[in-house]
Amino acid sequence: MPTFLILLLVAFSIFLIGVFVFRPQVTATRGGKMTAFLALFALPILCFGMGASSELEHAKSTKFCLSCHIMEPYGKSLRVDDPQHLAAAHFQNHRVPADEACYTCHTNYAMFGGIKAKLGGLRHIYVYYFGTPPAPENIKLYEPYNNRECLHCHAGARSFEEGAVHTADPDLLPALKANKTSCISSGCHGVVHDVGKLKDATFWKGGG
Amino acid sequence: MASASPLEWRLQISGIILILGLLVEGLCLLGRGPIAFILFVGLGGFLFVVGILLYLYSLVSAKGEPSKE
Repeated sequence: MPTFLILLLVAFSIFLIGVFVFRPQVTATRGGKMTAFLALFALPILCFGMGASSELEHAKSTKFCLSCHIMEPYGKSLRVDDPQHLAAAHFQNHRVPADEACYTCHTNYAMFGGIKAKLGGLRHIYVYYFGTPPAPENIKLYEPYNNRECLHCHAGARSFEEGAVHTADPDLLPALKANKTSCISSGCHGVVHDVGKLKDATFWKGGG
Repeated sequence: MASASPLEWRLQISGIILILGLLVEGLCLLGRGPIAFILFVGLGGFLFVVGILLYLYSLVSAKGEPSKE
C-alpha cells in the first residue's frame, strides 16, 4: 500500500482519537463506545500492522541495507567488473532483483526467515551504534552461509544440475544439496564480496 | 479536557499515548532509514501496546459503572 495512504489513515486515526481525548464524555452513549473501540483499538492495530508491513518491505531494499556507512564497500562490490565475483555477477545480471539484492541472498528461506533476517538487522544496528563495529573486510556472517539460500533458485536449474563441474564428481551434487559442501568453498564460488581487495578492482558503470 | 470520571481519564491517557505512537509511526514512515525502523519497532510498538492495553483495562475496570444512555 502506498505510504501516503497509510499516512492518511494515521492522520484520520489521530483526529478520531483526539475527539476522545478532548471530549471523553462522548463514550457515555452506545455509539460513542463503538466509535471509541474503533478509534482506540481497531484503527491503531490496523495502522501499526500496515506501517510495519510497509517498513519491513522497505527494509528489504538494497538502498536501505547500503544506507549504513559500514556497508558501502559491500555496495561497491556489487559493481566489480569481474564475473568471478559471485555477488557482482548476480547483481549485474539480475539473477537477483537489483533493488532487493542484499535481502534476496541474505534472507533465510526457512519458515520465519524474513523475520529472522530483520532481527539480525536490528542486531547490526545495535552493534553499529552501541558496540564496536568491525572494519568492513572483517565482517563475518553470524552463521556459515547455508546452500539452501542458493538452492532456493538454483535447485532444478539445468545449469546447476547438469553443469560440467557439478556432475564431474557424482558425490558433489548430493553434498551440495545436503549443505555438506559449501557452494562458496574456496575453488568453487569462493569470491563473494571480497571487500578487502576492492581498491585494485575495476567497476561496472552501467545499471543506473 | 480534564475529566472527573476515572474511566474517561484512562481513555484520555490511552488516547494521548496512542496519538504519540501514531505520530512516531508517521515520522518513521517519512524518515525511512535504519534508525526510523528501530524507532518504529521499539518506541512506536511500545506506545501502541501500552495505549491499547490501557484502553482495554479501562473497559474492564469500568464494568460496574452505570451508562448515561
